[in-house]
Amino acid sequence: MCTGRIDPSIVAKAFKNRLDGLLVVGCYFGDCHYISGNVQAKAKMDMTRKLFKHIGVNEDRLAFRHCSSGEASVFVEIVNEFADKIRSLGPLGGEGDRIKSPEIFKKLEVAEAVLAGEKIRWIIGKRTPFLDSGNKYGEVFTEHEFNRAIDMIIVEEIETQEILCKLREGAQSVKGLAKALAIPSERIFRYIMALKRKEMVALEKVSGRTPFFVSL
Amino acid sequence: MIYEKEKRYIIAFDDVPSPRAEMPEISVDDRRGNFVEVETGFPEALAVQEAKRCLSCRRCLGCALCWAECKPEAIDFDIPDEELDLEFDEVIITKGQDNAFHPLKPELGYGSYADIITDLQFERMLSPTGPTDGIVVSPKDSEIPRRVAIIQGHPEGDENHLLSSLILGVNESILALEKTGELNVVLVSPISQSFKEQFFSDVEKISGLQIVEGVPESVVKKQDGESLTLTYSEDGQSKQEAFDLIVVLTKPKISPEIKLLSQKLDQGIL
Amino acid sequence: MEDKRVLIVGGGLEGVRSAVEKAEAGAQVTIVEKFPALGAERIPRDRLIKPDDAFVNPELDKVRNHSNIDILTYSDLKKVTKENGTVKTKILKHSLRVDNTKCNDCKACIKVCPVNMLDDFDEGLGFRTAVDYCNPNTDEYNIYKEDMPVCQRTCPVNLDIRSYVGLIADGKYLDSLAIIRDRLPLPGSIGRVCPHPCETACNRQYPDEPISICFLKRFVADVEIDEKIEPVYETPSKKLSGKIAIIGAGPAGLSCAYDLARLGYDNITIFEALPVPGGYLWVGIPEYRLPKKIIQREVDLIVNMGVEIKYNTRIGQDISFEGLRNDHDAVFIGAGCHQGLKLRVPGEDEYEGKGIVDCVTFLREQALGKQMEVKGKLIVIGGGNAAIDSARVGWRMGFDEVYILYRRTKKEMPANSWEIEAAEHEGVILQYLAAPIEILGKNGMVTGMKCIRMELGEPDASGRRRPVPIEGSEYVIDAETIVPAISQGADLSFLSEGHDFNLSRWNTFEIDEETGATNVPGVFAGGDVVTGPDIAIRAVAAGNRAALGIHEYLRS
Repeated sequence: MCTGRIDPSIVAKAFKNRLDGLLVVGCYFGDCHYISGNVQAKAKMDMTRKLFKHIGVNEDRLAFRHCSSGEASVFVEIVNEFADKIRSLGPLGGEGDRIKSPEIFKKLEVAEAVLAGEKIRWIIGKRTPFLDSGNKYGEVFTEHEFNRAIDMIIVEEIETQEILCKLREGAQSVKGLAKALAIPSERIFRYIMALKRKEMVALEKVSGRTPFFVSL
Repeated sequence: MIYEKEKRYIIAFDDVPSPRAEMPEISVDDRRGNFVEVETGFPEALAVQEAKRCLSCRRCLGCALCWAECKPEAIDFDIPDEELDLEFDEVIITKGQDNAFHPLKPELGYGSYADIITDLQFERMLSPTGPTDGIVVSPKDSEIPRRVAIIQGHPEGDENHLLSSLILGVNESILALEKTGELNVVLVSPISQSFKEQFFSDVEKISGLQIVEGVPESVVKKQDGESLTLTYSEDGQSKQEAFDLIVVLTKPKISPEIKLLSQKLDQGIL
Repeated sequence: MEDKRVLIVGGGLEGVRSAVEKAEAGAQVTIVEKFPALGAERIPRDRLIKPDDAFVNPELDKVRNHSNIDILTYSDLKKVTKENGTVKTKILKHSLRVDNTKCNDCKACIKVCPVNMLDDFDEGLGFRTAVDYCNPNTDEYNIYKEDMPVCQRTCPVNLDIRSYVGLIADGKYLDSLAIIRDRLPLPGSIGRVCPHPCETACNRQYPDEPISICFLKRFVADVEIDEKIEPVYETPSKKLSGKIAIIGAGPAGLSCAYDLARLGYDNITIFEALPVPGGYLWVGIPEYRLPKKIIQREVDLIVNMGVEIKYNTRIGQDISFEGLRNDHDAVFIGAGCHQGLKLRVPGEDEYEGKGIVDCVTFLREQALGKQMEVKGKLIVIGGGNAAIDSARVGWRMGFDEVYILYRRTKKEMPANSWEIEAAEHEGVILQYLAAPIEILGKNGMVTGMKCIRMELGEPDASGRRRPVPIEGSEYVIDAETIVPAISQGADLSFLSEGHDFNLSRWNTFEIDEETGATNVPGVFAGGDVVTGPDIAIRAVAAGNRAALGIHEYLRS
């Protein structure tokens, strides 16, 4: 199978199921049987590493390396090096990561939801056309601009998915969400309003002086 | 500018905040008696670091995901702009929907605290189609306030400004009181003569609304999570009161474009 | 008789009300509103309400359904001209990019749109996405696409800043430089001296500090020099006919020549009164801010495109303006503002050249390497960048003490704050709230100046508080050299007597905003000679604009 087919949401799912490290080894650039599968794979893994870093999972637990089928010794070297790295990091959610177990698994669940969502899939798929021929308006992106776009989605989707995950457990107030997710309440308020507009969240009831919201 | 009126909404990127690169310079001692260039230019690493700070602002990424998701195929990026050449016999200039307002003095706390909003924002909050389901809440934590102050942002304003902003303040109070149980609204502003003559008797009958003829001075919050403390002067005395939500009455500002148009056609703005 | 045609600018409360009034009186009404929707569901500001009639506006329904009212939302009034009682307009109606007759309001698009932005219709209380509805009462969708980011929109030449900064982040410096050169032939010079309005607008200032856009431009320009790359500014092989004269080799003239050469014109001559190119960049901006070799290199690149520069050729002296005009198909005037304005105090004329020298002359003489008396105390009068430059130059020349005298306070100083700081840092002494009232001298040389203290009164037309003299506060300061740097004007003495140019009351050219054309056919103008003393990048923009205007004129 081509590394380009690896779905980042499966990567997150694997880590959620207590994987400590994942090494993706693809062909050298230019050697891809499917022309740009390895370029896609690199972009997807870079983005997933970025997301891991953002949520507090050590991004070195996920690596992308190149090797051809004839390079046995190179392969051994890459694998040994990676195995040493993972050994030094220890088990997921321990010393090697900013977020500790068991919260880290909750975060990875959110990461999985973000990576399974159409926003990030669609945009990462647009990388090549955006950098080469441009977007719908013919505007060509620099790599830096594209990275900003990806970062924007990562930051916003993680917080949005965290809110939605929490609301699926039951109705919540803005204050309650802010406390549970450690996000400033005014930011939660804005997210809730954005989600309401998208008809993904609704006001359930007002209890005392506090409105409670549910996911739809 | 549409969707650009206030500060842009900035995503909480991981690398924000970070300071900008300082331009290296030769020392002052090395400058006397010669004309050697003072600024020596960014070294490469610093230039790249600085360039990476760019947020690459782009509204509508042009990704066409909406187009892909739209079942009725209503989205069409190729619908062109239209240029129209039209002639008229008369032009009436109004300020339009810009809803820009004169800057508020920073002491009033607008922009510093999420629970201080403008009369224009409060108007949208009170609207049945507004963003909060028509409920009066504090944008700080979405709680329904018990005590709301509506304060004059431009106490130095003329009679016309005071009159229209007072009427707006009272109307907003009427709506807020109607929508919200157990609510107290205090309106703090200099009171214009015409307001006193035309409206005061009606306004006095509104239960839950207290009019204070005074000048708002400052709003502070001692600790996050605490309520807002308003300081105002009434009859030369300084007073303090605590509120859950503060609404500032603004003074409309005409956009530069409209001003230019009015100059060009040599006519006033309605 | 035909119905009266009425244009209503703005679709808020007042606009909607006027539209109904006019339409009911029988007029044909057009409303132009920038927003994608009318917005008159408002709380009244002129009467007290009952809770249920607050957001109801019967006029709005009337406007929407009236056969005599056309509503143009999401539209900009691009051009307005008044002729014999008729107002001619050009209106740009932006595409909504959504066919609202097909839309079923399923909200699938806004659920997936990755771009959140503050929703202006809700006064920034909530968010909308790039594709979304504007007014929830009408649910009409649009895709909001900004033509350019705020930095690019603010830049007078609309440099594609987002791309060139992004390319630097990617390490592609020469690609970045190529993007800059697409609109600006002087990246090294402008990258050193521009007061960068783009940075003032930069969105990054809200969370922390704006991007250092200007110095990044300088960085890529310097990379080329450091790597000893000699670029060639390409011109098309197909040449266009037309003999073009440009007056002044400053930023306006140079960029005009550059753009014309890139369009294919190969008979372009720049007439320059001075022995050096660059205009004010050479003789006004001191070497320590902008080394002459940087200007020379960028000018050489333009000359290599086939543009001729005739130095030491002053129009009105060496060649008459009429002669120049008759000999060329088009003329661009980019003569700049090289005349220092006078203080208008007693003693000024008497001691002119004997210790009193205006800032333009002072800076020019220094830049051209002329000998000047450097002795004792130098006092510069004024608060603009030219004042700071003069003071910092004087300090370098070796005056014992250098003072800047300004009649307002530091807060009101028009000079860039970083320039003021640099001057203070170097030891220039700034004296605020003082103004000269008489130049004093002895034996035909300046010995000092009588000044008066000022205080700030009410704001004037510019919004700055007006300085008012404090009676009886006169004092005398000694000085050997006094440099007035209060402002500069255009020297239009090169025009023949009885010329028929339309001039403004500031003695500058009046031009067509779009083409740079003056009222005299075939003659265009731009830069400081139109705007009065202004920043270099705006002169470059004027040169770009005039190049297109000239092209259009010569091809029609």
